[in-house]
Amino acid sequence: MRRADKKDEPAVYQRVVLKNASPYHYLKVCLVVEDDSTRLSAVELKQFIITGLNSLYGEVGAALTFDLLKYDEDTLTALLRVYSRGLVKLWSSLTLLGSYQNQACAFRVLQVSPYLLALTGNSRELQLD
Amino acid sequence: MSADLERTPRNLLVSERSSFLDPKNRISSQLVQLHFNYKVCVLLPECSSAPSHLDSALNTFSSFYLIRNLPLYELLDTHFLETVRHGGVSGLSYRTRLDEDNCVALMPNGRLSLSLDKDSFELLGVEGKPSRFNHRAKSRFVVCVDLTDSSMAPGGRGHQRLVTGLTSRLPLKTDFLMSLPAGGGASVQALLSRYDWSEHRPEVISCSLTDLLCPSPLTSDPSSLTSDPSSPLTSDPHRLLEWLGAVHAAVSCENSSSSFLSSLVCPEPNKKLSHALSVSVCGLLSHQDVQKLIQEIRVYLSVSPPGPASWASVTLHGFVDSPVSWGGEHGVLRGGDNFLSLTMFPDQSYLLHLAGGAQDTCPP
Repeated sequence: MRRADKKDEPAVYQRVVLKNASPYHYLKVCLVVEDDSTRLSAVELKQFIITGLNSLYGEVGAALTFDLLKYDEDTLTALLRVYSRGLVKLWSSLTLLGSYQNQACAFRVLQVSPYLLALTGNSRELQLD
Repeated sequence: MSADLERTPRNLLVSERSSFLDPKNRISSQLVQLHFNYKVCVLLPECSSAPSHLDSALNTFSSFYLIRNLPLYELLDTHFLETVRHGGVSGLSYRTRLDEDNCVALMPNGRLSLSLDKDSFELLGVEGKPSRFNHRAKSRFVVCVDLTDSSMAPGGRGHQRLVTGLTSRLPLKTDFLMSLPAGGGASVQALLSRYDWSEHRPEVISCSLTDLLCPSPLTSDPSSLTSDPSSPLTSDPHRLLEWLGAVHAAVSCENSSSSFLSSLVCPEPNKKLSHALSVSVCGLLSHQDVQKLIQEIRVYLSVSPPGPASWASVTLHGFVDSPVSWGGEHGVLRGGDNFLSLTMFPDQSYLLHLAGGAQDTCPP
């Protein structure tokens, strides 16, 4: 999965191309709940996502490690980090999470990237009005 | 089945180390090939406020225009074509999504690129080719024309055909972001006067950081990053990019490995920097302004007293929905990432990381 071509010139020039080498993927997600006044703490949100993994992939799925890097309680928006091989499992269980404490809810996946840095500059957020 | 679940779309990261003093360095051409810059983020360690020359470079990014509901045939107007031929005019459709909508980009070299869905492409009736990222399904097509070419001169065959297509068969309208070369405002006044437009200055946000955890080579001997390829941050650029991302996204790195919420930590060994400055500029940014900023940071690094943490990082994000990036076609499969990260050191050496997503050519 890796290709590297190195040139050792007298100067320090080196170029390396990494393909699919990113260990993690990062997601920016937002939880939308039927009742706007519902608030979750960071721990509750992570537990809720683990419940989703458990119901779709069972105990083995619920053991998937992921990190809640940042969470804004007012907008219910979170940054998640997951090992690249767990991305599809996490994403699919987020998609299928449909109710929180008997209220309809949905996760909106706003951005997915193999780089955390990319999540800090999303041009779709440009507001000029 | 479980193996399929573990696969993710392709991503490419080019990692380069070189020096501004190396006559063969390609940094200028690599910067230009990002085509449309949305945001530039600067991180200066051990700095509480930017020196005046750097501050002025950050605050004097040229303004850009937003024209609402611009019919695309206006881009082929005689006066506008004259302005395009002088070079430096760039534009991009605004609030159009490359994976759903028709998108337009006008590059500073006068090339116009249209990324169209199948129906629109067939209505337009101009030569194009299927997008290389779904050439089997043929559901998206790319039309690329050189507005500086003689056939695109007003009255020329190519010009007439495109104008007819855009006026009678496919009257496309879009909100359009446009940046002009310095002093170019007067030449498009006639165009602007016909539509609802506004001028915008890039937004500058400055943030002072204190007690920032920083990976060790960057706090003690930053230049070793370019001279020693075995340094962990050089050999695994993802660690450096993750840390930079955490700094710019204001994500805490002070977690323990047993923490329930997050186990993100700053790469070891690390040290605390007493303060750092993070500045971001956001809008449709011109290459000239970005190059000027990088030049000013080089000057800043060369004149600032040598310290254990003298380096600077610049991250340049491209527009996600630009139909072109890295010198080729660009698509949004999942994220549409296209950005570069440049870490500069006082001895004029630098580390450059260029990232492309699943629908990108390999960065230059």
